[in-house]
Amino acid sequence: MALLELEDVRAGYGATSVLHGVSLSVPEGQIVSLLGANGAGKTTTLRSITGGVHWTGDIRFGGRSLRRMHTEDVVRLGIAHVPEGRGILTELTVDENLKLGSHLRRDGAAVRKDYDRVFEYFPVLRERRRLSASTLSGGEQQMLALARAFLMKPRLMLLDEPSLGLAPLIVRAIFEIIRTINGADKVAILLVEQNARLALDVSSEAYVLEVGRVAVKGSSSELQGNEAVRRSYLGY
Amino acid sequence: MIQRIRTTPPRYWLVLVVVLFFIGLPTVIDSFQSGEWAQALVLAIAIMGLNILVGYSGQISLGHGAFMAIGAYTSAILAHRYKMDYLATIPIAGLLTGILGFLFGVPALRLSALYLALATFALAVVTPSLIKRPAELTGGVQGIVLLPPVPPTFASDTFSALTGTALTSDQWTYYVTLAWTLVLFWLAWNLVRHRAGRAMRAIRDGEVAAAASGVNIAGYKTLAFGISALYAGIAGSLFGLAVGFVSPDTFPVALSIQLLVGAVVGGLASIPGPIIGAIFAYFLPIESNQWVPTQTWIPGSIASTIEKAGPAVTYGAVLILTMIFAPNGVVGLVLTGYSRLRGRLRGVPDRESGQMPPDPHTV
Amino acid sequence: MQEFLQLVVSGIATGGIFASLALALVLIYNAMGLVNFAQGEMAMFATFVAFTLIAHGMNYWLAFVITLVVAFAGGIAIERVVIRPIERAPILTLVIVTLGLATLINGLAGSIFGYVPRAFPSPFSVQTVNILGALASFQDLGVIAVSAVVLLAIYLLLQHTTVGLTMRAAAHHAEASRLLGVRVSWMLALGWGLASAVGSVSGIMVAPIILLEPNMMQTIIIYAFAAAVLGGIESPLGAVVGGVIVGVTVNLAGVYLPFVGGDLQLAVALAIIVAVLVLKPNGLFGRPTVRRV
Repeated sequence: MALLELEDVRAGYGATSVLHGVSLSVPEGQIVSLLGANGAGKTTTLRSITGGVHWTGDIRFGGRSLRRMHTEDVVRLGIAHVPEGRGILTELTVDENLKLGSHLRRDGAAVRKDYDRVFEYFPVLRERRRLSASTLSGGEQQMLALARAFLMKPRLMLLDEPSLGLAPLIVRAIFEIIRTINGADKVAILLVEQNARLALDVSSEAYVLEVGRVAVKGSSSELQGNEAVRRSYLGY
Repeated sequence: MIQRIRTTPPRYWLVLVVVLFFIGLPTVIDSFQSGEWAQALVLAIAIMGLNILVGYSGQISLGHGAFMAIGAYTSAILAHRYKMDYLATIPIAGLLTGILGFLFGVPALRLSALYLALATFALAVVTPSLIKRPAELTGGVQGIVLLPPVPPTFASDTFSALTGTALTSDQWTYYVTLAWTLVLFWLAWNLVRHRAGRAMRAIRDGEVAAAASGVNIAGYKTLAFGISALYAGIAGSLFGLAVGFVSPDTFPVALSIQLLVGAVVGGLASIPGPIIGAIFAYFLPIESNQWVPTQTWIPGSIASTIEKAGPAVTYGAVLILTMIFAPNGVVGLVLTGYSRLRGRLRGVPDRESGQMPPDPHTV
Repeated sequence: MQEFLQLVVSGIATGGIFASLALALVLIYNAMGLVNFAQGEMAMFATFVAFTLIAHGMNYWLAFVITLVVAFAGGIAIERVVIRPIERAPILTLVIVTLGLATLINGLAGSIFGYVPRAFPSPFSVQTVNILGALASFQDLGVIAVSAVVLLAIYLLLQHTTVGLTMRAAAHHAEASRLLGVRVSWMLALGWGLASAVGSVSGIMVAPIILLEPNMMQTIIIYAFAAAVLGGIESPLGAVVGGVIVGVTVNLAGVYLPFVGGDLQLAVALAIIVAVLVLKPNGLFGRPTVRRV
């Protein structure tokens, strides 16, 4: 049984249907990429999981169906979702944002250790702790979002386009940390990315969405090796 | 919430029935009750004015009682101090109040909906104190007493000829009020049907889009304020006529809330709404005091609480329940029920909204 | 000069009363973009609860605390029952519902407690003490102290506790907060509870001065509106500063502006509201809002 399972999920906004039966699964501790062009339904898939959009079908986390659950309750089961736009609370300081990541945890000592690691990965966050989160650059905000998600100590992370709008150097750093988090803490990650090459490098499996359906799926190395797939679906 | 109420073309025959009902009413009720109905019609006019502002142009006012006060006092002062014929003062009062409303509408443009509500609410609370001040003009705390109007001979002769009884002062007041009500409602109906009404509705439903379409936002919003104030002014003036005196305490903030209650419960953005709302707003307090204690099925403790609390508890509860369950008021309920019934009779499945109804050609 | 200082001190005291009610308004405004027109009536009802407890022999401060707890619970209850069904409704609907609430609570208070004005006890004596040559009453100083304590407590709660943090997060960033596991809907209820409790302090402090009766808060709420608008409707600090300024200004105007007198002090509040809305709509500490098209 995989950690996360989507079974024939259909979802949309009002009258418009975006997902037309998506099935995928994320095994425990693995990174899975969700690829595809703009509008294919990648973001909608993530939003369905955390209850931000109305869906039918079934979504199961740790065997438990997420049907009809409120967002905050889904999150409390152990899913951290870094949305498009990062969801930084700009009215609050960097520190307060981080605090909101860890506020549900009861294991005080482990929280402190995790804070240390966060500042190790992202020293700039320690420098800017007391400042308003709105003063951070795009890359720094992405780091904050990732740090905050890490502090939630989730079993599964949903990352929506972490590379979007960021300079290549920063993207590289972020993906290194994604790899580390997955490796050291065994956090499963469902990674939505437009940059297919990056995503396939770091993930073990991948799904390619096209117009709300899974067009291709397989292990990342398979997809990387398949030139036809790369050319028609992944753009390189 | 202020959805365009799904309306059908006006049922002219229904309008005729209602008008005839009101014309004939004084012949079947006693004189005192005619006076009461006159006051209800006064409220209907004021509520119609408020409706134009809130329901059609989307601006909140919690202070229309203040405009009524201005109209009432204008008429009272002109009649009492300057010995003007009271009926002649009515349009003057309306016009003056309308101009003041228009001027008020100018700074109101800069206020968000919430701030406008706040400012007009504050105005309503302060109005009684502001009236008391220039005591020589307004009569201060005691107000101004007006002589009951004497029906002119043509009216009393006609009435006696038709009904065999003499026309009382109260009944005459009723007919004067009814005449104004019919005129003003007819004007309102025309207003909303034509360009001004469409412009206002466009503003209400989306100011930015309306501006982008070339609608003169400032012009129509202040116009709406002016017109609604004019209605309230005439209503205030007629109120003085019906009640026989004006004083600062006859225009408390509760009046402004009563008007809003009537507008909302009747149904915003509709023509029949204000009448229904006025009947509700006027007769509810009276009935809750008299009718409730006689109902044996209401448990004693609840009945006595309602009786002692007066209308406030019922008003408040009705207002809350209306906004939660029937935000389009009585008219909205009737129309939704009517269209559902029609659909069922024709065998058409219920169409759940998600789609705005097409803009009706008439209201 | 003496009289001036005395007026200023008592103005600060009434300012504290206005500030508490204004802070309640700000809390709910921050939580849901709504001015709660029923805040004054809720405070009045809580004050009646306090009165009933004290009349039955309870110690003043114990009654004070219990009343705050009851007000807190009442605020949560109102939010859950009345506001929750219409949480996402347009602003006009919400305003009308709060007006309905105000009417309802006022009527309820009238029917349960009656309309006869009652004397409400004050824990502070009316003796005066000499400060810098001016006489300030213990009553005024006491009110200032209580208001300050309450306002400080709210500040600490909001800025330095996790609960306060989640409340602020929910108020400003509802969707993003949900993704962090914050129960946004309950934060709204908490906001109402807190606002109700803070507002009730205002009622308890003002009752000894103006006599307790169902309509007693109807003018106070106008002063609180003025304070909140002046300070900036989203700023808790603004509510405090605005409250003090309104309190002092109204006091001074009542004495030094002959045409104002006692009964037109309320008009001064209206004038303040109008002036702020015309000149600087965001108030002293508010930020200009960007209108999303």
